[in-house]
Amino acid sequence: MDIYFWFFALVAVASGIFMVTAREPLPGALGLLTTFISLASLYLHLHAPLVAIFQITIYAGAILVLVVFVIMLLMTPDEELSVKQYNLSYKSMGAIAGVAMIALLLVGVRGIACIVGEKALPSDFGQPGLIGKLLYSDFLLHFEVVSVLLLVALVGAIYISKRNL
Amino acid sequence: MNDLIIALIKVVFIWVWVLLIAVVMTWVERRGAAMIQDRPGPNRAGPFGLLQPLADGIKLFTKEDIIPAKAKKLLFILGPILFSLPAFSAYAVVPFGDKIVLGGKEIILQVADVNIGFLYIVALGSMAVYGIVVGGWASNNKYSILGGLRATAQLISYEVPWGLALLAIVLVYGTFSLREIALAQQGTFLGILPNWGVFKQPLGFILFIVAAYAEANRVPFDLPEAESEIVSGYHTEYGSMRLGVYLFGEYVNLCTLSALIVTFFFGAWHLPYINMASFLGPISYGIASFLVFFLKVSFFLWLFVWVRWTVPRFRYDQVMGLGWKALIPLGLLNLFLTALAIQLTA
Repeated sequence: MDIYFWFFALVAVASGIFMVTAREPLPGALGLLTTFISLASLYLHLHAPLVAIFQITIYAGAILVLVVFVIMLLMTPDEELSVKQYNLSYKSMGAIAGVAMIALLLVGVRGIACIVGEKALPSDFGQPGLIGKLLYSDFLLHFEVVSVLLLVALVGAIYISKRNL
Repeated sequence: MNDLIIALIKVVFIWVWVLLIAVVMTWVERRGAAMIQDRPGPNRAGPFGLLQPLADGIKLFTKEDIIPAKAKKLLFILGPILFSLPAFSAYAVVPFGDKIVLGGKEIILQVADVNIGFLYIVALGSMAVYGIVVGGWASNNKYSILGGLRATAQLISYEVPWGLALLAIVLVYGTFSLREIALAQQGTFLGILPNWGVFKQPLGFILFIVAAYAEANRVPFDLPEAESEIVSGYHTEYGSMRLGVYLFGEYVNLCTLSALIVTFFFGAWHLPYINMASFLGPISYGIASFLVFFLKVSFFLWLFVWVRWTVPRFRYDQVMGLGWKALIPLGLLNLFLTALAIQLTA
């Protein structure tokens, strides 16, 4: 029984459920923050400190801050999120998507178990330097493609937000 | 078991020490302001008014704890806690001295020497904004929300040049460990200068210190609490010790940032041209390195006070303009030049 794993897994799931069901927007965002932080703790537990830190810096520190920013711009603290999409087609679509996601995750978990098995980790597994070397040698093309993708997204965002350039 | 006790002592020690600095800083801030403005300042409680922080503390603790009727109660309580937590947590990786040898056992003066210390600092820096946002939102007051909004935009903007400046430092020293960065700054650079980060990264230092002022919400970047525009910003509705925790957290933040500036740019515990380890005993060397480190930290703490009472506040669009149009391009340029210099000299 891995107490560390179960603790953070339960916190992540509980705060995720809280985030989905929260009526007020900011507590919901804080629930998401809790999920992110517990996920980061799980990554740390899996000997992936770099992924954990990126999880916090990028998701909790940048993306969620933007979400909070939008909440503060668009709503007042007294407003609550109203249930607007409460019809059968949305509900059934959500259910199908949820089941499909769980199935996909299960397949993924089985796949990982087959590939990794019970192998012992090398001592420098997950170190930032090693990941950097991999990124700039074996995965250089992927890395550059992703950077071009981000650049395109950036240009697109500026084009959409500025009506007359 | 022994290691656990040592680690516990280190944690408690640095925690109490930083709290003590924060207490003294409230006094330094007010006396420093008075000195700069040519007036005596608080000088009644104890010698030089040194007991003033104590009196303030008693006042804050014994005041009535008011939670506004329209406030979001739980979030209102959570705000100050979220604000002060990241500031304290940063000390887990900041070295506060070299090492001390007690009974044949070498004790490193740092809570945890992890090889991702730098990333940990960056991650914590991005967490500080939540305390302000939650406090501002929970107060349910338009000035507070405006303060929270300003803080969000400002912190997210200045985190980028902050991180870029640190990235250049990591390029120079080739490690993520703060202790290794500190150790690498011994000796001299180019024969005459001390081997400090500030001489290798002058532009990076300027970027870092400007961004640090913005991250700490200090003048000239204290827009989230600009009293002439939005009363007191995110902590307008706070009183008693909840306000105290906000103000206190700010000083802890200053202390953390000063310690980071010293670690990255001012040789951590090294004295220029003098190798303390060569003539001091193991115990006295440990204490001396600790004292040297905090002597440097206290200079930067004083600089924060000095700037606060000397420089006027920016306009809000100027703050944003400086961040995005000046600091981020300069940060990228600095990163590029650093990489180029390393490539050419290697």
